[in-house]
Amino acid sequence: MGFLDNSGDIILDAVLTDLGRKRLAEGNGSFKIAKFALGDDEIDYGLYDKNNTSGSAYYDINILQTPVLEAFTNNMSSMNSRLMSIARNDLLYLPVIKPNKSGNHTVDATLSTYVVLADQTTVNTMQGPSGEAALAAGQLNGDVAAQGGNFIQLDQGLDTSELSANSVLAADLVETQYMIQIDNRLGSIATPATNTNAGETLGFTPTSIDDDNIATYIFTLSDQSEVVKKLTTGNTFSVIDGPQGTSVKFKIAASLDLKTSAYLFNQLGTVATAAQTLQGAGGTDLLGPDSTPVTAYKFIDSTVRISGMTTGYTVDLPVRFVKQT
Amino acid sequence: MATSFKTFDSRDSVVTRNLLHEAIPITGTIVSGTYTNKAGTEYNIKDYSHGMFQSVYDYPYLSSSANHIFDLTMGYSPSSSLSQSLAADYSMQPKKINLYNQMAQVLVGFDENGAVRQFDEDGDLTGGRKIRECYFFNFARLLSKDEIKKGSFSLTLGIGQGYETGSFRQMLTITDASGSTSYKVNSPAGEYGILTASGSYGDYTSTSDRNPLSSSTPNCGLVYYQAGIAVVTASVFVSGGLKVPGGTGVSNKGMGNQVNMVNPAGLSKPNCLSPLIFTGSTIDVNCDALRHRIKNVSFNNSTELNSAVYFCRVNNTDFNYSANPTYLKDSKLVVKTNAQDLPVTYVTTVGLYSADNELLAIAKLSEPLKKDPTTEFTLRVRLDY
Repeated sequence: MGFLDNSGDIILDAVLTDLGRKRLAEGNGSFKIAKFALGDDEIDYGLYDKNNTSGSAYYDINILQTPVLEAFTNNMSSMNSRLMSIARNDLLYLPVIKPNKSGNHTVDATLSTYVVLADQTTVNTMQGPSGEAALAAGQLNGDVAAQGGNFIQLDQGLDTSELSANSVLAADLVETQYMIQIDNRLGSIATPATNTNAGETLGFTPTSIDDDNIATYIFTLSDQSEVVKKLTTGNTFSVIDGPQGTSVKFKIAASLDLKTSAYLFNQLGTVATAAQTLQGAGGTDLLGPDSTPVTAYKFIDSTVRISGMTTGYTVDLPVRFVKQT
Repeated sequence: MATSFKTFDSRDSVVTRNLLHEAIPITGTIVSGTYTNKAGTEYNIKDYSHGMFQSVYDYPYLSSSANHIFDLTMGYSPSSSLSQSLAADYSMQPKKINLYNQMAQVLVGFDENGAVRQFDEDGDLTGGRKIRECYFFNFARLLSKDEIKKGSFSLTLGIGQGYETGSFRQMLTITDASGSTSYKVNSPAGEYGILTASGSYGDYTSTSDRNPLSSSTPNCGLVYYQAGIAVVTASVFVSGGLKVPGGTGVSNKGMGNQVNMVNPAGLSKPNCLSPLIFTGSTIDVNCDALRHRIKNVSFNNSTELNSAVYFCRVNNTDFNYSANPTYLKDSKLVVKTNAQDLPVTYVTTVGLYSADNELLAIAKLSEPLKKDPTTEFTLRVRLDY
């Protein structure tokens, strides 16, 4: 008679993240573990071979052999993809969050990224002397975010042509709350609304700022922020091919440091080359042939992370902060 | 409703306390000899301009790889008979007295009149013999951690004459053998044990000198467990063999009834650690002489490990889907062919979060763990403080 398998209980040693250490050091009770999540960052599900002729035991043989890395202590580097609990087992499709790169929420045509103009000088150059012309597509007014007409939009839903866009996304798969994270040294999240007369932009207040200066913003469908909106069924402007859930829209305002100082650009930035000419819509190009004298600029590349709080689906958007020098 | 977090309830965590022990062997060659050049410079020994103590490292101390292992110093009480009214006649006497008083006030405390108590050879502060001349071994926190494990301390010394002429012919082993059962708690610095000596003090080349100790295990010092400090009476080095307090016969020659180094007969033996060197040389020279007589030091340390264990209970309906970008292709699950197939995921990481979704701690599995609706398990995640 064999022994019973007693390996069901697994003991793991945990390490504090840098944020955990910071919260512990603060000593104000903010270090309180309340919940857990499971992650599968290392797993490539593309290795799941459900057609393996050797049988179902071999479907995941490659996945199970995946080596697992030691824990990263940077809280932003771990748990990038979390496992989800959904009561039903018969789901064949899951929603995704996808950047909607069209109209006034597309990326810069030359650089294929969202460009945030960090100060008034840069904005003026790109808009032209009158300041009335709109910025080129993909360029966000980081000086006074409300004055710019461009914003960032991501749509959520089942991005498949196998299901009709007129179908309704199941309520338990609709994202009603999003978490947006941005490097607080560089910028902040602002309302997507446009007001060309605005003197300044009232940004949102981050829920928290961690030890790495990553600011976290939480937006919900019902919070009047205009950031999260329900996508109407069959919306043809959405990038989601199938049933649609919600969209998240926002602008990015440059931080005070970026507006008023070149310090971070000198520390973290890169001097743009001629191949990185930034096209101006109403004004002159940065580094372009029509700029006399040639206007140089520096840029800092960063990312903005958008996560659905329901499904945990996460998208990292590349963002480039630009400042004329 | 899809969710990627599971909240702990009050039954899902427990706090435990464990004592972790490490064996710390310090061989005499580390303390003296290993890192010495031909000129006699010891690169792992750090002397200071103030000359109050000497630091011992496990590697040349200018290297970033070096670890501080302990400090050595010595001193005597103002009431010691070695203390002279003319301090100028005795090398560094004020500093030696200051050191004794400093160590005594921290480790033994003050009496009811506010006077510094002296070290007591049996821990009974109401009377008995006092240790008025002593060496101090201050072990680094790196080695002693939370405390020296009671009953584990051992120090082997060569107590013969000049170390160049065979100080290790006479050996003495000092232990706190009774520490695990009869330690003392009347010190302001925590618990301490009585150090006792055993071994032979006779010259191995001469049968007539190979005399047993007059007492089988005479007291010869104190070890403060939490402070990580050993106090060893200087009497162990009095020439002519170990002078055992209260003993009889040759081994107690000239000792009187106090633990001290006043032993006129000892002066007749050159190169021996004696009142001559204790009073006539600097602290550094005394520490050098002591280091070259250390054969071994060993003890076990203890670390109090407080652990919080979180029981991450993963039920059959939990965590069967993933937000991993590779999990979907055109929004379709790559692990399923049709809707009736069971979803499957592979766990590699457990994240512990605050109520605000801040990632506070991470635990990793050694290999991916398969999860589907037919399985459930509990992951015990231990967080040590």
